[in-house]
Amino acid sequence: MSISSLLRTSILLLAGLTASACATRPPATNPEAVAAYEEARDPLEPFNRAMFRTDQALDKALVRPVVKTYRFMVPEGGRQSVGNALRNLRSPITLVHDVLQGQPNRAGITLSRFFVNTFIGVLGLFDVGEEIGLPYHSEDFGQTLAVWGVGDGPFIYVPLFGPSTLRDGTGYGVDAFFVDPLAWYSRGNGAETWIQWVVLGGTYINLKDETMFATDELEASSIDYYAALRSAYRQIRASEIRNGAPPPMEDFDEFSSTFQTPTLAAKAASEMPQTSLTSER
Amino acid sequence: MISRRHLIALAPAFALAPRLAFAQGAVEPGAFVSEFAQKGIVDILAAKIANAEKQTRFRSMFTTSFDLPSIGRFVLGRYARTVKPEDLSAFQPLFEDVIVYTWSRRFSEYNGQTLKVGASTPDGDEGAIVKSTIVGNAGENFAVDWRLRKRPDGWKIVDVIVAGVSMAITYRQEYTTLIAQQGGFPGLITQLQKQVGDLKAAQPA
Repeated sequence: MSISSLLRTSILLLAGLTASACATRPPATNPEAVAAYEEARDPLEPFNRAMFRTDQALDKALVRPVVKTYRFMVPEGGRQSVGNALRNLRSPITLVHDVLQGQPNRAGITLSRFFVNTFIGVLGLFDVGEEIGLPYHSEDFGQTLAVWGVGDGPFIYVPLFGPSTLRDGTGYGVDAFFVDPLAWYSRGNGAETWIQWVVLGGTYINLKDETMFATDELEASSIDYYAALRSAYRQIRASEIRNGAPPPMEDFDEFSSTFQTPTLAAKAASEMPQTSLTSER
Repeated sequence: MISRRHLIALAPAFALAPRLAFAQGAVEPGAFVSEFAQKGIVDILAAKIANAEKQTRFRSMFTTSFDLPSIGRFVLGRYARTVKPEDLSAFQPLFEDVIVYTWSRRFSEYNGQTLKVGASTPDGDEGAIVKSTIVGNAGENFAVDWRLRKRPDGWKIVDVIVAGVSMAITYRQEYTTLIAQQGGFPGLITQLQKQVGDLKAAQPA
């Protein structure tokens, strides 16, 4: 097979895959479905759902047994310390993004926590910072992009990695391989790349250990676990980007039991050109 | 020393006080959340009663403290504007059941956690957001925000936001996706009936 025909075949394959993997936009005659489609921002939904099913199967067969073994071997207090140490190792990434987001106060907190937890908290095993009024927070390149005005883009579900978006997935890769000083260190010392992989693996198991209860609850309380997970993931990211402020819900009051639907006359009046009003302003 | 004249001057102020308190909503949003949590802990979570009784008490507390009709309409998104009244009245009790049975599955796991109520800020149409922290006895805690609205009979909870995830928004995105996929409202109702059945079966004795 020549190179050009190989290329042609792969382009055709890719086109076919994308075409079948794309969710069809509902017709304009169904405005409610269009609104739901736009809110989900998930044009690859059928493909993502297939990836999600793969992820759930891998989760059952592989991830859960590992997390269970970890829980069996390391007691609660020990797991807490592992989590603390991994968070501490990540602080340089948070520091870089505190600065890139123009948050000097938060950068100061991150830096102070790093020193206090590393030197007094025994290499980060104990979160001393939390005790002395330096609360933990986490930043990443995805959040910095959001602060700079980049939208989250399409939703992506990657087996083992879990829910993400184009923006946040890209941000994760940039942080893990270019921002993280640990990555620089392990690459600089050719033979020491294992350090990065051990930390990545540890971070993964720790994350699964910390979030398994919440995701299991979400699964039990939902009918469509994929849709609920997609929503929860986007909300957690939005909450992190707002640095913990509650989500705005401007349209809630339109649905309240005391809300009066505007009468047709009032609606028509409000839609009329209001030249006199605007010219006065 | 308070003279008689002072007392006379004070009298109208006292007479006015109850009315002023009523106009201002009498109870502060933070105090309302605090009372709700305290009642939940004493009467339900820590009470030495059968789980079925806990469920009954929770349902009555939940339906009086939450503005369920508003939440039920909100979670249907744009579908709330076009749904037939009979479909809406089939949906509301199912939605109530889903939340009651989801929460009551975990009552027996209560282990001395408390709710520390923090600051409250104004929100939306005569509403407030109350920040709080659930404090566990092993030092683990997580943030819970309560979205409240003032209704004629007092404060009502319209949303609970746990660690940044809003219950109302999550249900809305799930249900609107489901309606679109099931090709209509009846599909959602069928799925909800099945879920309520599953949740009932999963209740501890």
